[in-house]
Amino acid sequence: MSFEPVTSLYVHVPFCAHKCAYCAFYSEASSGELIQRYVQALIREFELVAAELKPRTIFFGGGTPSLLNLRQWSQILETMERLNLTGAAEWTVECNPATVSLDKARLLRSHGVNRISMGVQSFDDALLDRLGRIHSREMVFKSFDTLRAAGFDNINLDLMFAIPGQTPAVWGQTLDEALALGSEHLSSYEVIYEDDTPLFAQLQAGEFEVDEELACAMYEELVRRAEAAGFQQYEIANFARNQLGGSPLTAESPGIPAHACKHNINYWRGGCYHGLGPSATGYVRGVRTKNWSNTQLYCEQLEKGRRAIESTEKLGALARAGETAAFGLRMNAGWPFEQFRRVTGQDLRHEWRGEMDRLIKQGWARADSEGFQLTPAGLRFADSAAELFLR
Amino acid sequence: MDATHIRNFSIIAHIDHGKTTLSDRLLHRTGTIATRDMEAQMLDSMDLERERGITIKAHPVTMTYTAKNGQVYELNLIDTPGHVDFSYEVSRSLSACEGALLIIDAAQGVEAQTVANVHLAMKQNLTIIPVINKIDLPHADVALAKTQLEDILAIPAETAILASAKEGIGIEDILEAIVARIPPPEPTGAASLQALGFDSYFDTYKGVVTHVRVFNGELKAGLQVKLLHSGKNVEVKEVGSFNPKPYIREKLEVGETGYFTANIKSPKEVKMGDTVTDARNPSPALPGFKEIHPMVFSGIYPINTADYEHLKANLAKLQLNDSAFVYQAESSVALGFGFRCGFLGLLHLEIVQERLRREYNMDIIATYPSVVYRVTMTDGTLKEVDNPAFLPEVNYIQKIEEPMVKAFVICPNEYIGDMMALIAEKRGAVDHTETLDSRRVMLTSLLPLNEILIDFHDRIKSITRGFGSMDYEHADYTESDMVKLDMLVNGESVDAFSCIVHRAKAESRGRALAAKLKEVIPKQQYAVAIQGAIGGKIIARETVSAMRKDVTAKCYGGDITRKRKLLEKQKEGKKRMKAFGSVNIPQEAFIEVLKA
Ligand SMILES: Nc1nc2c(ncn2[C@@H]2O[C@H](COP(=O)(O)OP(=O)(O)O)[C@@H](O)[C@H]2O)c(=O)[nH]1
Ligand code: SF4
Ligand SMILES: [Mg+2]
Repeated sequence: MSFEPVTSLYVHVPFCAHKCAYCAFYSEASSGELIQRYVQALIREFELVAAELKPRTIFFGGGTPSLLNLRQWSQILETMERLNLTGAAEWTVECNPATVSLDKARLLRSHGVNRISMGVQSFDDALLDRLGRIHSREMVFKSFDTLRAAGFDNINLDLMFAIPGQTPAVWGQTLDEALALGSEHLSSYEVIYEDDTPLFAQLQAGEFEVDEELACAMYEELVRRAEAAGFQQYEIANFARNQLGGSPLTAESPGIPAHACKHNINYWRGGCYHGLGPSATGYVRGVRTKNWSNTQLYCEQLEKGRRAIESTEKLGALARAGETAAFGLRMNAGWPFEQFRRVTGQDLRHEWRGEMDRLIKQGWARADSEGFQLTPAGLRFADSAAELFLR
Repeated sequence: MDATHIRNFSIIAHIDHGKTTLSDRLLHRTGTIATRDMEAQMLDSMDLERERGITIKAHPVTMTYTAKNGQVYELNLIDTPGHVDFSYEVSRSLSACEGALLIIDAAQGVEAQTVANVHLAMKQNLTIIPVINKIDLPHADVALAKTQLEDILAIPAETAILASAKEGIGIEDILEAIVARIPPPEPTGAASLQALGFDSYFDTYKGVVTHVRVFNGELKAGLQVKLLHSGKNVEVKEVGSFNPKPYIREKLEVGETGYFTANIKSPKEVKMGDTVTDARNPSPALPGFKEIHPMVFSGIYPINTADYEHLKANLAKLQLNDSAFVYQAESSVALGFGFRCGFLGLLHLEIVQERLRREYNMDIIATYPSVVYRVTMTDGTLKEVDNPAFLPEVNYIQKIEEPMVKAFVICPNEYIGDMMALIAEKRGAVDHTETLDSRRVMLTSLLPLNEILIDFHDRIKSITRGFGSMDYEHADYTESDMVKLDMLVNGESVDAFSCIVHRAKAESRGRALAAKLKEVIPKQQYAVAIQGAIGGKIIARETVSAMRKDVTAKCYGGDITRKRKLLEKQKEGKKRMKAFGSVNIPQEAFIEVLKA
């Protein structure tokens, strides 16, 4: 049996120097020993899936991938080379500003990593402290220069707003400084209070209140400023520039800027991907999988030569199409009808006609002969809209 | 047994003064049960009864006692429910007796329930044998208990027997007093059978088992009997007594107590307090029969709409052993399909709800309880209203009367001020105050039943740090300025929250409900107005501001499954919402408010 190769790859690095107050990702501060064991297990997992993988996009996320040392990175990168997994058109590694060194940046760049996503969150030292981030604003400037010096010309900055204690003035200041850096991409989102995080516990304990009005105002400020600075919003929390080195690139599809993150677009468009590492999810041939969120267990499984999958889920064709429709609507471009049909085998205009009409009437969406998308007002209610498409 | 050797009696007491312990002692001393069979608290059979320390169902028990005079007596102990909600049952049970043991805890003295129970027993002309119990306790104050007997209850102190049910002190004296002081039953002189049916329970094989006390003639299997008030003729299948388990007897004669069965399928067919007589040669009814009427009504709804049929079946089962409980189907815009249920009082309501939850595993919600109002219409006709939904429009109403109670509150002296304030807050009027002893007073007051439904008892307990007690008896109806308070969501009335309240309280109640609703109604895409209204007049107002967004801030590959499940749940939840105009409100929100 032969399959179309999977063209997207996610790798989870489950280690952080220190846990941030809001973070619900699977990651922890660990001993060097476990990290080393993880690298070996990951190499084993690469070997298990390499045959059906031909990555066009790769994303190393976490955790803090930049926490791995030079030797560990070399082992991983060499393995990927050996298995023919390098050479992706877009290859992102997440970095914490406190862990970027010129040597590491050069090593990554030289093996084909061409995009860095930097978790900045804020340019205000007091708020960084509030969030439990380990870096300072100064480290952001320094790391950014280091990455540029290493040859990275596609850098994303992550920013958070509506942080408890954050005033509109502080947010405005952070936006100014972020935009002034001149990155190619910006991800910016309102703080999410995830269960079982210290920040959520503080909220529950009434240490602060959520101000919806303020959060909305900050979002509006974000969209306004980012667009004024030459960014194009292409998803609820994502903004990218449309020019690369002054020459326009052919966009993946209309409404999507050249520097948009292709790896993430693949998620929203219902594309396949392999996910490696503890807690990583995958979506291959219609089956969603999730690896164990336990590094120890993950390593044990791979040491026995098998993948460390905790659960799998296979939805029926219509349910899967509904899910795909729902998540695609997070993008400003929404769904081109033809593309949706190619991906899911279903036609939006048949199965979801009623839902689309209802949203259009509400002013939350618009459609033409090519496709259907949420309006800016609709994007603020993307969950209410998405829910309608689930089957 | 010939009637001169039969004694029928009850035990009346304030809760925890030792009624159950003493009953067990008597059963034991008369050899009715052996010690090894004696589960603690023999007579309270339901878990709930044990937990709350209240007897809900009355069980008659027949004991055989050889007195000091060498003669053998049949003593019938007819237990009574220990709560005022069941005062009709208490009086039914009492009227099957010639005497009553009145227990007073020597360390506590007379309490509110003691007073209410003594009133009931005196109304039935029973011989009262006072028993001062718990004399073993170091802080027992026998002298004080005796003074209170005389001063508060007008019972001669020298008639009191000193006892400790726990230590077995005075048990012999009590048994002797029962024989010596309680008069033997006497035939009524009627021409045929007259028996009082004072309680019933349902047995899967035998059908309804009716507890009876024979006043005249004899009751035996094969006899065709007529239930005078129910208007029903049946053939007696089996007669017997309890010791405490049921055992079959050939017949029950004058003065005897026991049960009969007659292929009766539903307890509704036997009225509490009915007279059983010979169908072929009927005698007149025994005095004192009253139809029992529920005093408190509340809607009971399944939390999960799919449980409706299940709830219906379980209510029917409950009713088999609780003929005072009534129900009928109703529906609510907010809560869907459910039942309007009638109870004897608040405790009865709580018990039924708790049994549904525990014994029948039902998830239910109850609406705000209502009493029965008497509404005189402008055309002079009279209407009884127990559901705010059926209160006629104001312009058709001439007057509204509400049921009152006479309440006895006993509290330590230092709390009189707070207690008077509480009674005033509950729209009550103190009729008189009596000093019980150097520490305590008793306030006798008249209050609307509606006001003591919710938290009166709890408030007394908290004001007096647990030292106060309260009991009441039903009094007449009084005209009151009652109004219907409607709660509106975007202009539409939410029936589950409508209530009949006194005008003076409507505003604060409306405001409290509006504030609570504001907390639980989720934000909508449009602002939602919550209003409390009397007639057309808005007396309370809150606004749930419009939702500004409903969007997951960020979502990538790892979040998709979890997020999809959340969206599915949200969608599922919306399906179960009730639409009020353009506003969708989850049923859970209403339930939240009703629970509070
Ligand atoms: N010290 C003492 N405790 C008693 C006596 N009689 C009953 N009690 C206790 O008082 C509590 C309430 O007794 P119970 O018979 O359940 O009272 P009821 O609520 O009237 O049925 C129980 O803990 C009994 O053990 C007694 O004579 N002396
Ligand atoms: S650095 Fe990122 S992954 Fe690590 S704890 Fe902070 S937010 Fe979570
Ligand atoms: Mg008891």
